[in-house]
Amino acid sequence: MFDFLIQGFGVALTPLNLGLAFLGALLGTLFGALPGIGPINGIAILMPLAYTLGLPAESALILLAGIYTGSEYGGRMSSILLNVPGDAGAVMTTLDGHPLAKKGLAGPALGLSAVSSFIGATVAIIGLTLFAPLLAIVAVKFGPAEFFALMIFAFASMSAMMGKDPVKTLIGAVLGVLISTVGVDSGTGVLRFTFDMPELYDGIDFVVMIIGLFAVSEILLMLEHAFRHDQEGEMAPIGRVMVKMSEVLYCKWAILRSSVIGFVIGVLPGTGASVASAVAYTTEKRISDHDNSFGTGNMRGLAAPEAANNASAAGSFVPMLTLGIPGSGTTAILLGALMLYNINPGPMMFREQPVVVGGLIASLYIGNVMLLLLNLPLAGVFARVLQVPRWLLVPSVAILAFVGVYQLHSDLMAIYLMLIIGVFGYLLRKFGFSLAPVVLGFVLGGLMEENLRRALSISGGDVGILFQSGLSIGLWIAAALVVLIPMFAGKLKAKFLPAAKAS
Amino acid sequence: MKLAADRILSLLLLGLAAFIAVQAWQLQVPFSYDPVGPKAFPLLLSGLLAILAIVLFIRPGASGQWPTGALLLRLVFTMAVLGIYAALFINLGYLATTALVSIVIAWLFGAAPVKAVVGGLLLAVGSYLLFTYGLGISLPTGSWIESLLGSN
Repeated sequence: MFDFLIQGFGVALTPLNLGLAFLGALLGTLFGALPGIGPINGIAILMPLAYTLGLPAESALILLAGIYTGSEYGGRMSSILLNVPGDAGAVMTTLDGHPLAKKGLAGPALGLSAVSSFIGATVAIIGLTLFAPLLAIVAVKFGPAEFFALMIFAFASMSAMMGKDPVKTLIGAVLGVLISTVGVDSGTGVLRFTFDMPELYDGIDFVVMIIGLFAVSEILLMLEHAFRHDQEGEMAPIGRVMVKMSEVLYCKWAILRSSVIGFVIGVLPGTGASVASAVAYTTEKRISDHDNSFGTGNMRGLAAPEAANNASAAGSFVPMLTLGIPGSGTTAILLGALMLYNINPGPMMFREQPVVVGGLIASLYIGNVMLLLLNLPLAGVFARVLQVPRWLLVPSVAILAFVGVYQLHSDLMAIYLMLIIGVFGYLLRKFGFSLAPVVLGFVLGGLMEENLRRALSISGGDVGILFQSGLSIGLWIAAALVVLIPMFAGKLKAKFLPAAKAS
Repeated sequence: MKLAADRILSLLLLGLAAFIAVQAWQLQVPFSYDPVGPKAFPLLLSGLLAILAIVLFIRPGASGQWPTGALLLRLVFTMAVLGIYAALFINLGYLATTALVSIVIAWLFGAAPVKAVVGGLLLAVGSYLLFTYGLGISLPTGSWIESLLGSN
C-alpha cells in the first residue's frame, strides 16, 4: 500500500530533487518573509522559474511545493516582528506573536513558531501518507457526475468557510470559471469570448493569469501602502535566538491539538490556512487560556495557529493529489502548474502518476526537516529580509513578472494581457474579494464544464444523472449542508469564533 | 452613499452577465453529438452571476478605502510606466528598459534620486546577469544594440 512512498523517496532523494527541495525551502522562506508578499504571491512570482529550468513534472512540483511550505515558514517573520501578517492565514499568528516580540522574546517566538510549524507539518504529512491512498481508492469510483458534484462541494465549502463575505467568494469563483471558458471549446471547436483576437484562441494562459492577478496587483497595493505610510511597524529586536525545551513542552498539547485541527480543515476542499489557524486559536483559547493571557503574548497562542497553519498547508495536498480538487488557493496554483505538464488532475492521478505523487509526498518530509534546520539557527538572518526597502522590492517584483511571462511567450500581447489582468486583480482586491476563489474557479472551470458535459452526454441530456449515484447525492447534500448550516447557526458561529471577529 | 461601491460593482456584474449571455447566445453551433454544446455552461454561469449580483445589491458590504487625488494619479502613472515597459521591452532591450523602469518605480516609492539611479542600474545589470548566465533565459537585447553590433 505504501509502495508509492518508497518509490517517492527514490525520486525525492536524487541529488537534483534534493537540491530543488532545498532551493525551494530557501527561496520560499525568503519570499515569504519579504514584506507584503505572502505564500501565494511568492508561488505566483516564482512559478515561471520551474519552467525556465526545464524541469520534469515531479521536479517542478517538488520545487514549487518547497516554495509553498517554505513561504509558510517565512510568512511568520513579519507577523511576529512587525505585526504585519503576510496573508490571511498569518493573522492569528500576530495576536500573540507580536506581543511576545514586544516583550523581548522575538527570538524564542520565531523558534517556537518554527518548531510548531515543523510538528504541525509532520503530523499532516503523515496524515497525508495514510489518507491519500485510502481516498484514492474511493476516488476511482468517481464518474463525471460525481466529479462535478465534488467541485460544487468544493466551491460551497469555500464560500461557507472563507472570508467574511460568502457572496463575494462565490462571485469570485464564478468570474474565475468564466475566464476559463475563453478560447476554443474543446467539445465542438467553437470559439468563445475571443473577440476575433487570435491570441485568445488558446484561452487565457495560466502563468499570465496568475502573475497578473497576484504580482501586478500586489505592486499597486504596495504603492498604496507606501503612500499611506501603512505597515511600517517598528521591528522588534530578535534577542535570544533559541527556544527553550521547556517552552516547547509547555505548548506540546496546544501544538498537537492544533496540528490535527489544521490537517482536518486543510483536507476539506476549498478551505485553507486562514480558517485552520482561526479555529485552532479559538479552540486553544477555550481549552487552555486559564488566566486570560491569550492576546498578550502567550506562547500557546502563538504555537496553536502556527501548527495549524502548516498542518493545513500539507493537508490541502490530500484533495489535490487524490481527487484533483485543490484544498486552497495555493494548491490551486500548484495544480494549474501540473496541468501545464499535461498531467490531468482528477481521481485517477494517484494511480496514473505515482512518481509525481510519491515524489512530492516524500519531498514534503525532506523539505520539512530542511526548513526546521534552516529556520531555527538562521531566523535572525532571514529577518533581515524584512528590511528590504520597498523601492527596491517593487521593481524586483515587476522584473520577475515581466521576465516570467516573456520567457514563456516572447510575445508582447501576453505582457499586456498580464497588465490588464493585474488591474482587474487590483480592483477585485479593493472590492474586498479574496483571490483564492478566482484562481480555484479558473483552474477547475474547464474540468467542471468537461465533466458536466460528459455526464450529460452519457445520459443523453438528462440532468437526472447528476443525482443518481449515492456518492453524488451525498456530495450534493454535503454541499447544501455546508452552505446552510452557517446560515442558520449564525449565533453559534459568533460564539465559536469570537477571536476571529475581533481581528 | 456610504454603501455605494458594492452597488456599483453589482450593476457592473449585471452588465457583464448580460453581455456574456448575449455573446454565448450568438455562438454558432455546428452539429455535434454533444447534447449540451458550448452555449449552456456560459449561460448557466451568467445566470448565476446575475443572481449573485442582485444579492450583492440588496446586501452590500462596507465600501473600503478608495484611492483619490495624488494616490490615484500615482497608481495610474505606475500602470502607465509598466505599459511603457512592455511596449519598449523588446525594441529597446531588457537592460535599458529595466534600468529606466526600476529607477522610476524606486523614485515613486520614495527613494532619493541618487539611490534610485544606483539601485535601478544595479537591479538591471544584476538581474540580467542572473537570468542570462544563471538561468539561461534569453532576454531581448534590443534592436538598436543589434543594429549597432551589426554595423560593426
